[in-house]
Amino acid sequence: MAEAAESPGDPGTASPRPLMRDLKAVGKKFMHVLYPRRSNTLLRDWDLWGPLILCVTLALMLQKGSVDNEKDGGPQFAEVFVIVWFGAVTITLNSKLLGGNISFFQSLCVLGYCILPLTVAMLICRLVLLAEAGPVNFMVRLFVVIVMFAWSVVASTAFLADSQPPNRKVLAVYPVFLFYFIISWMILTFTPE
Amino acid sequence: MLQQDSNDDTEDVSLFDAEEETTNRQKKPKIRHPVASFFHLFFRVSALVVYLLCELLSSSFIACMVTIILLLSCDFWAVKNVTGRLMVGLRWWNHIDEDGKSHWVFESRKASSQENKNISEAEARIFWLGLIACPVLWVIFAFSALFSFRVKWLAVVIMGVVLQGANLYGYIRCKVGSRKNLTSMATSYLGKQFLKQNTGDDQTS
Repeated sequence: MAEAAESPGDPGTASPRPLMRDLKAVGKKFMHVLYPRRSNTLLRDWDLWGPLILCVTLALMLQKGSVDNEKDGGPQFAEVFVIVWFGAVTITLNSKLLGGNISFFQSLCVLGYCILPLTVAMLICRLVLLAEAGPVNFMVRLFVVIVMFAWSVVASTAFLADSQPPNRKVLAVYPVFLFYFIISWMILTFTPE
Repeated sequence: MLQQDSNDDTEDVSLFDAEEETTNRQKKPKIRHPVASFFHLFFRVSALVVYLLCELLSSSFIACMVTIILLLSCDFWAVKNVTGRLMVGLRWWNHIDEDGKSHWVFESRKASSQENKNISEAEARIFWLGLIACPVLWVIFAFSALFSFRVKWLAVVIMGVVLQGANLYGYIRCKVGSRKNLTSMATSYLGKQFLKQNTGDDQTS
């Protein structure tokens, strides 16, 4: 379920699926998100490993306080997980109800992989926060988050908008906008105590 | 011999394959893939153990959660892509065709007596035992987390239920065949039994 397609080169049902092929497929999809162009790769060979890795990374980076603390960020970790997956599922359901011809897991795949720019933004923000706090600090982070947010939205609509009839494109795209906005908001308002 | 194309009529996999196989060929009680069998159980059982012993093992909730997520992911990939194929000769996946429609494909390797890659009984038993017992335990943990209000664990427990439940569902569908659903298989089996009984009665009376 987490990944699609057996290629015709497989020797048969007895042979195990090669791990390297799956890892390379995940890497290739990350590249496709970073340089979005009209291609079918994310859609045809979907897998959910990339979204899982990104979600865990994002949740780990959004932790407040030290890791050894007794009251460490358990709820925040689960919160990020729930927001990402529940949000992605909701958008997918919305898109299907509007008559889109994309399958459930394909849509989850695209939305999950397009979190990559925002994860990079989180990384940059954490580095910037090591410097002294102040308005300059905030402006830099704001700029980075806005750029990455726009990148995420553009990347995901490049894949998702095609699956909708023309008069419904905006209806299908605005929840995506909202989804990445919420994640960007969480990233921007993050302060390590 | 191997059914690769799901568009053809898939091979009927009778529910009682195991009985027919043992009469047709020599019993193979040995475990033919010890590494696969070990890992099939290792990831699942470790995830359960870490979940149960998290308070003792580490004071960090995050570390436990990430470890369990990692183990569940490895287990999902290993069971879906490696152990199912090696131990019981079943495989399932999703295929997106040219029109963008998604198909779920469930295949099983046709057993033939000349083929020396036969399914060993011990491996099949280990496989199905691990496959069925663990999701059931995760479901029990889900209810216990819900009712004892340890809600912060709920995300991880639900992930366990979903991932292991998906493998269980996939392999059960492989086993009973992808075209027939369970009710039609049960009906046809009962129908056959009924006919057998009636013709048997006619012969004896």
